Amino acid sequence: MMARVRDRLAQLGQGWGGLGLWWLLLAALALYPYTGVTHLTLFLGSQVFVLVTLASNWNLIGGMTGYVDFGHAVFFGIGAYVMGILVTKSPLLVSPEWGFLQALPVSGAAAAIFALLIGLPTLRLKGPYFSIAMLGTFVAMREIVRVLRPLTGGGVGLNLPPVLNRLGDYYLMLVLMGLVVSIMWWIRRSEFGQSLIAIREDEIGAEMRGINTTLHKILAFMIAAFFTGVVGGFWAWQNTFIDPDVVFIETRTVEMVMMSMLGGLGTVWGPPLGAVVIYVLQTVVWGRLFGIHLLALGILMVLLVLFLPEGILGTSGRGGGTSIVRLWGRIRQRSDP
Amino acid sequence: MTDGSRPLLEGRGLTKRFGGLTAVNRVDFAVQPGEIVGLIGPNGSGKTTLFDCLSRLERIDGGQVLFKGIDITRASPHRVAHMGLSRTFQVIRVYRKMKVLDNMLVSRRWSGDSYLRVMRPSSSEMVRRARDLLEFLRIAPLAEEPAGHLSGGQRRLLEIGMALMPDPDILLLDEATSGVNPTLIETIKDHIRTLNGQGKAFLLIEHNINFIADLCTRVYALNHGETMAEGTPREIMENEAVIDAYFGA
Repeated sequence: MMARVRDRLAQLGQGWGGLGLWWLLLAALALYPYTGVTHLTLFLGSQVFVLVTLASNWNLIGGMTGYVDFGHAVFFGIGAYVMGILVTKSPLLVSPEWGFLQALPVSGAAAAIFALLIGLPTLRLKGPYFSIAMLGTFVAMREIVRVLRPLTGGGVGLNLPPVLNRLGDYYLMLVLMGLVVSIMWWIRRSEFGQSLIAIREDEIGAEMRGINTTLHKILAFMIAAFFTGVVGGFWAWQNTFIDPDVVFIETRTVEMVMMSMLGGLGTVWGPPLGAVVIYVLQTVVWGRLFGIHLLALGILMVLLVLFLPEGILGTSGRGGGTSIVRLWGRIRQRSDP
Repeated sequence: MTDGSRPLLEGRGLTKRFGGLTAVNRVDFAVQPGEIVGLIGPNGSGKTTLFDCLSRLERIDGGQVLFKGIDITRASPHRVAHMGLSRTFQVIRVYRKMKVLDNMLVSRRWSGDSYLRVMRPSSSEMVRRARDLLEFLRIAPLAEEPAGHLSGGQRRLLEIGMALMPDPDILLLDEATSGVNPTLIETIKDHIRTLNGQGKAFLLIEHNINFIADLCTRVYALNHGETMAEGTPREIMENEAVIDAYFGA
């Protein structure tokens, strides 16, 4: 029985069935604004979509490729600042509202180009050295933004034109989230995705067997950086104000890591699930245990990591199947007389 | 393609140093197309380091490596693999969390692919080849298992299968019989003979001297990073320097 559930889940996740369910969910979310929801709900919805998209992007380099990026928010920051600079200073944009859409791909492209430049030296590093190098890159970029006052506004920041369009924001992030997760699904089942997993499992072995590991890592890094940059651009536009301390904030990367780990590193559906679970937990814990909410959330995280070390949907070579299915199996085994 | 007169794989004056230690010192050797050559020597004699130099895992400090007549001394490892050189490792390297079949598929020959191709799942032709090889190695029933579930011997076979997946011209097998039971050793021997019959060359590092004697036409014996002797298995086994350094009196 358990084996059947396990196999069905695995097939569903990697096959077209998983993608079909995802598109059904997207369709339902597209209809949601017509159920009489408020602007606040739409705003919160777009925030969840931001988290899902960020977690999925981080998972491409951190979960699938095994390069734990502690500075991934640098791409978010670059995207946000490119958006801020373009909509406040560029004469090329047609109007603030449409200019936002023009600037959005530029935000992603700038982040991807930066990923190429920084990835070439840092992706040669292994394990914690890469993580620390990226953390250093993140901190350095924050200081660079602070120093480049004529362009970035320095510590004072930039005010973007306040264009309130909650419905438009909701749909834009819904499309972006749908696209990113679908791309991750596609990558995971492609030979490119398999090669990333091989690099994560044994980079030397992968290189010796003909995989151009440098090229594959750089490509994965650039794809993740591009969409993180686009999300950063969107966030800056929606927030209408950016400065180094709100954009280049360490907890953003920590959130991406936590969401991916909770959902299941290297899986397609784990990071989106982890993002939603963490968002709901944060909201519920904050609402009901205000004052000790950080303590409660911390304990919850420790318990989850203890009992689901590979995340909710994570799989391991030891037992096969998802962690949650294995946990359920263990509980049932113990309860059997 | 390689013509018969030119060695398939050739090392000229190969030298590799680790700080003050010279692990491989001016070693010359050659493997002809379709030949099975053995490499023996005591622990620390430089056999695996020589393999690492040939497959470009290690940077070479002196000398030259030619594969199919092309200088690969400075080539990247994946480029050497694309050219048709495959290897296995002393400590087995398989992707433990991936399924056996996926291990095989991801080990296919990667040369000449557009990125549009690699963005698609493995072709049915490639899946068929992987399954055929698993069948050949008699581990086909394990295709859907994670590689981490396999026994040491089964992982050895999988690693050989992964090395065969790109249809290489030469296979470098590093202690392929280490930790493998006698029945499985015979199986590996049969596989090597069959593949050699199909024209594949082999370079084998082995401590199992019967294995070497049964399969190889020529053997190199290394000691302290230098070539101690070269000849047929019988000549090597009767060589006094080799007996002193390796087999024992």
